[in-house]
Amino acid sequence: MPGFVIDAQSIEKSFGTLKAVDGVSLQVKPGECFGILGPNGAGKTTTIKMLHGAVESDAGSLRVLGRDVATQSRLIRAQMGIVSQEDTLDRDLTVYENLWVYAGFFSISKKASLTRIEYLLDFMQLREKWDSQIKTLSGGMKRRLHIARALIHEPKFLILDEPTTGLDPQARHLVWQRLRELKAQGLTILLTTHYMEEAAQMCDRIGIMDGGKFLVEGPPQTLVQEKVGDEVYELKGGASIEFLDSLQDLSVTTEIVADILYLYSRNGMGIMEHLISRGRKDFLRRPATLEDLFLKLTGRELRD
Amino acid sequence: MMLFPQAPSHRAFRVWVRHLVYYRSFYLAEWAGNLGEHILWLVAFGYGLGRLVPNLDGISYAQFIGPGLMVSVAMWNATYESTYGAYSRMRIQNIYESMLMAPLTVGDIVLGDLLWCASRALIGSTLMLVVLSLFGLVGSLWAVAILPILFIEAVMFAALGLIATSLAHSFSFFNFYFSAIVMPMFFFAGTLFPIKGLPIWVERLSEALPLTHAVRISRGLFIYGHVENFIWHFSFLLGFTFLFLTVACVLVSRRMVE
Repeated sequence: MPGFVIDAQSIEKSFGTLKAVDGVSLQVKPGECFGILGPNGAGKTTTIKMLHGAVESDAGSLRVLGRDVATQSRLIRAQMGIVSQEDTLDRDLTVYENLWVYAGFFSISKKASLTRIEYLLDFMQLREKWDSQIKTLSGGMKRRLHIARALIHEPKFLILDEPTTGLDPQARHLVWQRLRELKAQGLTILLTTHYMEEAAQMCDRIGIMDGGKFLVEGPPQTLVQEKVGDEVYELKGGASIEFLDSLQDLSVTTEIVADILYLYSRNGMGIMEHLISRGRKDFLRRPATLEDLFLKLTGRELRD
Repeated sequence: MMLFPQAPSHRAFRVWVRHLVYYRSFYLAEWAGNLGEHILWLVAFGYGLGRLVPNLDGISYAQFIGPGLMVSVAMWNATYESTYGAYSRMRIQNIYESMLMAPLTVGDIVLGDLLWCASRALIGSTLMLVVLSLFGLVGSLWAVAILPILFIEAVMFAALGLIATSLAHSFSFFNFYFSAIVMPMFFFAGTLFPIKGLPIWVERLSEALPLTHAVRISRGLFIYGHVENFIWHFSFLLGFTFLFLTVACVLVSRRMVE
């Protein structure tokens, strides 16, 4: 049986007095897709940077692709693709030159890199931008080029830090579609995102992070069922104490946010009837989602 | 590998190639600019100011400053590229960061950058050599031997520039670096006027400046075809090159890996 692609045991990182990563343990198997969710400042990017050695860990042990990151990060990077959150494309070079120069960093021959570049530009729908300057590309194209660059050496493992943030819906869908294709091809993927729906669809497992540690970790559907329930009822216009008391016989948990009352139910039996019998017909009934879980665990107050 | 995970290797060449690919898009403009600037310096100082200067040790003022300008051009070019150029690559464009996401080490990036700075400086100096020979200011064919020495000198000044870059928090830091380090180096290395006869502390300061030793070698080769105390001057350059290179590697590592 092959080992873990990522094997992190209680890794920690502090910047001055701020503990950015506070005892994270994580194991990802080959072929698996793992999503890290969390509010801004939760420690997602620091964790990702630790995986490729751009941030050194203060404590714990961290092995990627079977090697120790502290001493062999160069060899790890030779088999790993990285799409960082910020734009790191080479603005002095054209689209083709960006990929060709980067292929050189992996010691790929000129001929082999040409074949690979043609394939990747087709795959990412950038073929007609071959000779363009980076500044003429749209945000979506830049992101796709970033992903193409990270795939230039046919890595075994791909890391993406917020791959669809700031993109329009069309560009976002194209990126998610391509990532699903890569996953289907057997690539191991680790990503961070704020797009819960896509993460729930794509990731085999997710971890919700806050304050530098994982609050929960597991398959998204299972986590939502266990921690939130099956269904959510949203009632607008608030609720009287008397109405809230009447809910106690039902197996629901309640939460009031501003003028909305949320009812989280585990088996849904009798809730709709109860609401209608109380004359509350202004409710929305929907399945529980990862976003419900996320907000439940990380709270609703703003982070930045 | 275990002891020096950021040590440089042959992969520095790939970094150098990246810079060359970019250079291809603007090199003609740079060459034209370089040539114009070299001719201007020579005419303004060598012949303009030179009319007021008596012969120095039997040579004309233009002959005196020519070899000095050769090595200064290398210093200026290497310094610009390793300060403004490297700062932009490191802090503005995140090019270093993208290289560190590929299997390159900080050492590869630093060495590749320094070799590139030196290559560009060598091109600038070669153009200067062409100008000097057109003006008939090259007394010995041995002058060509200055080029490999200039390359080492340029690596040294590029490494010093990269040290400044790794300490800089904005472009304005380089104003300070240029006025505190590069300008005094240029004036007190015996480039434009002889140091002998100035107050003793100026002479001593001048001896400690790496550029002084490059100027001595250059002047010897250009005018007489041989250099007195060559081993001493050359060792001085080589020693500072390794020192600055090591410090640059350490400081850039500190800046790139948190």
